[in-house]
Amino acid sequence: MSGIAATLQRRREKDRGIGSCSQAVKYLNQDYEALRRRFLESGSLFKDDAFPAETSSLGFKELGAGSYKIRGVSWQRPTELTSDPQFIVSGASRTDICQGALGDCWLLAAIASLTLNQEVLARVVPHGQSFRKGEYAGIFHFQFWQFGEWVDVVIDDRLPVKDGELLFVHSAEGREFWSALLEKAYAKLNGCYEALSGGSTTEGFEDFTGGIAEVHELKRPDAQLFHIIQKAQSRGSLMGCSIDITSSSESEAVTSQKLVKGHAYSVTGTAQVEHQGETKKLIRIRNPWGQVEWTGAWSDNSMQWRQISSEDRERLSHRSEDGEFWMSFTDFLRHYDRLEICNLTPDALSDDAVSKWALSKFDGSWRRGSTAGGCRNYPDTFWTNPQFVIHLEEEDDDPADGEVGCSFLVGLIQKNRRRARKLGEDMHTVGFAIYQFRDQRNVHLNKNYFLRHASAARSETFINLREVCSRFCLPPGEYLIVPSTFEPHKNGDFCVRVFSEKQADFQEMDDPVESRVETIEIDEDDVDDRFRKLFGQLAGGDCEISSYELQKILNRVVTKRSDIKTSGFSITTCRNMVNMLDKDGSGKLGLLEFKVLWTKIESYLSVYRQKDVDNSGTMSSTEMRMAVEEAGFSLNNALHQILVARYSEPDLTIDFDNFVGCLVRLETMFNTFYTLDKDKSGSVELSMMEWLNVSML
Amino acid sequence: QFVPSDPPPPRRPVQYAEHNESNEEKQFRRVFQQLAGDDMEVSPSELMNILNRIVTKHQDLKTEGFSIESCRSMVAVMDEDSTGKLGFHEFKHLWDNIKKWQAMYKSYDADGSGFISADELPNAFRAAGFPLNDQLFSMIIRRYSDDNGNLDFDNYIGCLVRLDAMCRAFKTLDKDNNGTIKVNVQEWLQLTMYS
Repeated sequence: MSGIAATLQRRREKDRGIGSCSQAVKYLNQDYEALRRRFLESGSLFKDDAFPAETSSLGFKELGAGSYKIRGVSWQRPTELTSDPQFIVSGASRTDICQGALGDCWLLAAIASLTLNQEVLARVVPHGQSFRKGEYAGIFHFQFWQFGEWVDVVIDDRLPVKDGELLFVHSAEGREFWSALLEKAYAKLNGCYEALSGGSTTEGFEDFTGGIAEVHELKRPDAQLFHIIQKAQSRGSLMGCSIDITSSSESEAVTSQKLVKGHAYSVTGTAQVEHQGETKKLIRIRNPWGQVEWTGAWSDNSMQWRQISSEDRERLSHRSEDGEFWMSFTDFLRHYDRLEICNLTPDALSDDAVSKWALSKFDGSWRRGSTAGGCRNYPDTFWTNPQFVIHLEEEDDDPADGEVGCSFLVGLIQKNRRRARKLGEDMHTVGFAIYQFRDQRNVHLNKNYFLRHASAARSETFINLREVCSRFCLPPGEYLIVPSTFEPHKNGDFCVRVFSEKQADFQEMDDPVESRVETIEIDEDDVDDRFRKLFGQLAGGDCEISSYELQKILNRVVTKRSDIKTSGFSITTCRNMVNMLDKDGSGKLGLLEFKVLWTKIESYLSVYRQKDVDNSGTMSSTEMRMAVEEAGFSLNNALHQILVARYSEPDLTIDFDNFVGCLVRLETMFNTFYTLDKDKSGSVELSMMEWLNVSML
Repeated sequence: QFVPSDPPPPRRPVQYAEHNESNEEKQFRRVFQQLAGDDMEVSPSELMNILNRIVTKHQDLKTEGFSIESCRSMVAVMDEDSTGKLGFHEFKHLWDNIKKWQAMYKSYDADGSGFISADELPNAFRAAGFPLNDQLFSMIIRRYSDDNGNLDFDNYIGCLVRLDAMCRAFKTLDKDNNGTIKVNVQEWLQLTMYS
């Protein structure tokens, strides 16, 4: 519950725009402006307790305490390393980034691509930071995208140094520090420097832009790939390409035509030209080294440029050794192995000239026993997964050859567990399926629906990566997206994003939260003599039934039955039952109150028997979902998760006493809410004492 | 049928959060690992076993033992991520509180009866940081004490764990500190059903 309050509060803040790129969440609640002001006033330099200048911030294994690699490491501020440190010298450029003793080339490749897009870079590296007197207080900040929200990370500028040199990233000329500080901030966000070792460029792309990254294997290219690249370019997407290596000795090996293996290139343009009566597709690529260029067809001084119109030549050719070169798209596919496209979100760009993808995003979670349904191989539970519906209304403006439809990208990203249970891999195998869907009703679709309908599309694979992303082009209509883990019963949190060419309506498919339980009206005439006599025996002298008496009665009844399993009613459950029906506040039940309770219990029992489809004597967690509905409650995913977490046994079954306890509490809480919400506004306002009064019961 | 792809080689670790632990915390982690079993989480029945093992060692604490229902409720109010179990940090928070409140229980049991009686209760709760009004104190006595108004140890702990969590939830939601919170029916049920 502590987490629920926090989650609710976070959602409210999100609704107010916190976490969007203009209002980043303050990581660890550290406020850059406030801290900087404080340290400027006090005249001392900021020391970050949250990421101390200690071994623990370096690493845990290869960079952990006792490792030879960190022997002799000290932490120094740039002002101690050089007499005239600079944050950025005349704009960020790729030479600012030289790899240190850490295997985070993937990160550096992403940072290098970032320097090509000043606007995006300016958000990750906010302006107005410097070492100038009167502005410098040893504190810096950077912004990253983390699972759906922007996070502002504050650091101090003590950097790990060995033998007078920066241990990790440094600039080529040695007095420019933005890249080293950016790396430190990213290390803080990930726990330590060592946590950055090994990773993929796409991950860096995403954390710097909030975009969604697709990987295209060029040995099996999409038929429309050239078109996709052109569109990506017009949208301002970041694109990188590379040639795979089969062993580490091949890393940065140069081919006979001067292409570098295992190295991250940027894609910077496309063109089509008439060449010897044929339309040729060309692609422009840049080596971030600023030198070493392709020497094959269409390279800077190749003969092909002489065989095209002078206009095209004027427009395209250039002959300087700057690392940038053209090649034919066919050669590109032949020589390169992968292309990574990072599509930017609308909020990552403010330049109106580039057309943007429309973004829709939802957070969700899978919980063992309630909403962790597993993939379609598990039809009994698949339907319990969170469901999202997207309405695609308009077709693309500019369809690729012969393909008319709505283009969209779906990305399913699993959030890191907040509590690092152990080191190492902790990813689930995840993916999603897409169903075409025609009903307008906004209700969670059930098992029958999925048994009767085949999926229209799905993620290419189920895989244990941080993100699974696929591109689709489907006719206009309504589609249901069902994200899941491969196997059922895996706890996890996720964020699902849909990037569509046209604005699309995206919402979670969920049931409304309401109670349809009818009040049982009973008067003296409804009570027959037999029941009256029974009550007399049970109630004893005071003619009322206390919680303890109720507990005895119920346990006597249920333990006789072999068709229902129970561990016996707890006094708390019985107290809740008495509270629910005790109209006169005596803390006990009179005849009519008891008759109402008895009627309820009989109906609970009949629902329980009816929904126990496998006759196990208990409710499985999916049976429970249907039983709760049958009992008159319409609940959404978040609440189904809670019921299972609160009332099920370790094997995820719910026995009869917990079943009754659950329904009684549900009814009481619905009633309390409806009573408090006198004007039926849909929400209630409570003071602390009022809150405790209802929640402590 | 879907078939999962081959897993990629191991990659960088997720958050490496525990790098700042003191020796005491490391020791506690080892104890936790024993209690929590393979899944590294404490379930309500594991919590019940631990608590009952402890109270049997303290003969001066009157109790009928912790019931599974009250342990379920404690897990629910402490659970940060609605998994139905307590992870390391959640459990540690609970544990530290229980230790603190146990010491208080003994010092506020003025007559040494082994119970907190109805007149000892307000002072004990105020000392624990919960200055409630009379109406709430009498509600708590009605709800958590026996017919004679005596609060035994398991009910005392169950009540404080819940009270503490409810107050924290309120403060979290009352971000603007205006003294009230506003919730809709879904939020209301999420909060009150998981307690």
